[in-house]
Amino acid sequence: MTATEAEAETDSAVVGEDVYADGTLVRDPEIEESLSQDEYDPKGTLALLLVYFLILGLMWTYMYFVEFLGNGPTVVG
Amino acid sequence: MSTPGETAGETVESAREMLPDNSFLIQYPHVSRVVRSLFLTAFVAFGIGAFMGVLQALHRTGIARIVASSDYYTLLTLHGVLLVIVFTIFFLAGVFTWANTRSLDRPPVSKRFTWFWVVTMSVGSAMAGIAILAGLIPSIGMSADVLFTFYAPLQAHPLFYIGLAVFIIGTWLAGIDWFRQYLAWRGENTGERIPLQSFMVLTTMLMWFIATMGVAVEVVVFLIPWSLGIVPAPNPLLTRTLFWFFGHPVVYFWLMPAYLLWYTVLPKIAGGRLFSDPLARVVFVLFLLLSTPVGIHHQYVDPGIAEGFKFIAMTNTMFLLLPSLLTAFTVVASIEHGARQRGGTGYFGWLKALPWRDPAFTGMTLAGLMFAAGGFSGMINAGMNINYLVHNTIWVPGHFHLTVGTAVALTFMAASYWLVPRITGRELYSRPIGLFQVVLWFVGMVFMSAAMHRGGLAGIPRRTAEPQYPQVTFETVAGSVGSLRLQLAFGGVLLFVSALLFLVNVGLTAMNNEPARGLDSALPPALSGPEQSPTVLDNLKLWALIAVVLVILAYSLPLYSIVQGAGLYPPGQEATPAVLAPLLEVIA
Ligand code: HEM
Ligand SMILES: [Cu+2]
Repeated sequence: MTATEAEAETDSAVVGEDVYADGTLVRDPEIEESLSQDEYDPKGTLALLLVYFLILGLMWTYMYFVEFLGNGPTVVG
Repeated sequence: MSTPGETAGETVESAREMLPDNSFLIQYPHVSRVVRSLFLTAFVAFGIGAFMGVLQALHRTGIARIVASSDYYTLLTLHGVLLVIVFTIFFLAGVFTWANTRSLDRPPVSKRFTWFWVVTMSVGSAMAGIAILAGLIPSIGMSADVLFTFYAPLQAHPLFYIGLAVFIIGTWLAGIDWFRQYLAWRGENTGERIPLQSFMVLTTMLMWFIATMGVAVEVVVFLIPWSLGIVPAPNPLLTRTLFWFFGHPVVYFWLMPAYLLWYTVLPKIAGGRLFSDPLARVVFVLFLLLSTPVGIHHQYVDPGIAEGFKFIAMTNTMFLLLPSLLTAFTVVASIEHGARQRGGTGYFGWLKALPWRDPAFTGMTLAGLMFAAGGFSGMINAGMNINYLVHNTIWVPGHFHLTVGTAVALTFMAASYWLVPRITGRELYSRPIGLFQVVLWFVGMVFMSAAMHRGGLAGIPRRTAEPQYPQVTFETVAGSVGSLRLQLAFGGVLLFVSALLFLVNVGLTAMNNEPARGLDSALPPALSGPEQSPTVLDNLKLWALIAVVLVILAYSLPLYSIVQGAGLYPPGQEATPAVLAPLLEVIA
């Protein structure tokens, strides 16, 4: 059985540099490897966001050319 | 710490004894009770609202017409009001009560006062709900089929408007309660940074105080007296403008609690840490500043508002994309941090290292993904010219079922799987059902929303019981209108099933006698903490002041010209069905 968060409290009762103003601090016992700010480079985030912007650009172009310029008024009656 | 006398009687004591001392329920049994009662109301509203949703989806596509088409607006009003006013706001009040207490590490100042606003909000909602439901029974002679955009000239029974006013007052009192709680904390913690969750609650409530001024004036000054027959019908454009003064920022009122959960709870569940605390604060300040002076972007096709004012609203709206894009970066980077701590690697390979089997994680992540898609259709809506293409078509409901209907609603459901055990002390009934349910919501929404977007591009109108006209053929780009209808209805049914599974799972959790495990509500600190940001970020008075100035700049001229144009009560408008009018005639 994995340790519960609550049991890990003893571990985190040590006040380190990473304390919130509200004094909370938790280190998840399941995490062996702890990455600090300097060691972490969010390149996966960059990759995902670039994909998103690409999709956005394509969809916008589609909307504008096919739907907006390519159509007459759609509601008639 | 826990005092035995405080514990709520209804909870199983033996189960509670097994909870760790530092769990939220043990530390704050009373606050937990408040949150439980708010969630209960939210979930009841959600269930009824979802039922109306599936009825509409089947009705307007012609697949099953269970009610008369003349009652469609009653269902639609119930759907809109119960979901976007009652469900969302009661749930967020619960989240804010929890978050403010947790992060300030102290309960609200007065139990009485807290229950007072809970009751006020509940009574107001019940009044509005009864007025709407009465519309189904003609013999009562009461109706409120005005849709959740309750401006003139559609008129509701006074009970509806008075209920709304009471409800809004309840939310103000809630905000006051959270501010008092904060001030009590401040008294003992001078010079400290405001804890992040509390900061989010306070900035959101400041925005809400400003935003609700519009709707308060609309309802109290114009709609209530009008529905009582005391004053003539108000200028519709004026009430529309006052409504949208509130109607845009209310979308951020729904969204900010979802952001609060994404920024503070999601990184923890992912096994990581929030990427940047200062960035999160900047985002909330930007929402406080920019949410309100944009409402006119809902009125691009309203005659009577000069194009220049619409252009200003559009510019502000485009600025408002910024905090959401910042959020996309910060939240994804925080999740990625978790994945890398769990051993994930590569540009995309890290995605495999995430806790996908946890319904709270998967639900919130899918909600975020849907929000990204909603960002696209939102940008289309926001453009003054291209908006004409989609205005008042079913595209628009397609858009906001991605945003409030999924980004917010699915986040709330997913977060419930994490939060409900913390406020009941009971173990989640079933994780697999939870996981299935959140994925089902996502799939159902892909069907329903895509069909709505495409139907909108073909010109199919929204808010229509029978959008089938013999003299009109809607032209779709790909696929037939018939297949779009089937997809819309199919998606709607999946969503309804998903909603039921959620309610059953949460209901069984509330009755589960197994004590919850792993309840520590402490959150991991941000990678880049608040100490790295300028303290001016915490200067709430300054930001509130700037927000008010921006609102005055954006609205004073348009409002002035609307009143100058047609006046407050333009002649030739009848107040029907006015309640007191016959009575007044007798007296006079
Ligand atoms: C079971 C899930 C749902 C289904 C099947 C559903 C279905 C629908 C349909 C078909 C419409 C369009 C009706 C029309 O314009 O004629 C609609 C409108 C709407 N829905 Fe939903 N919906 C669901 C969930 C939600 C949720 C969770 C929210 C928000 C939290 C929401 C908010 C709205 C709003 C605000 C409207 C517009 C009402 C109006 O035009 O006045 N819906 N819904
Ligand atoms: Cu808006």
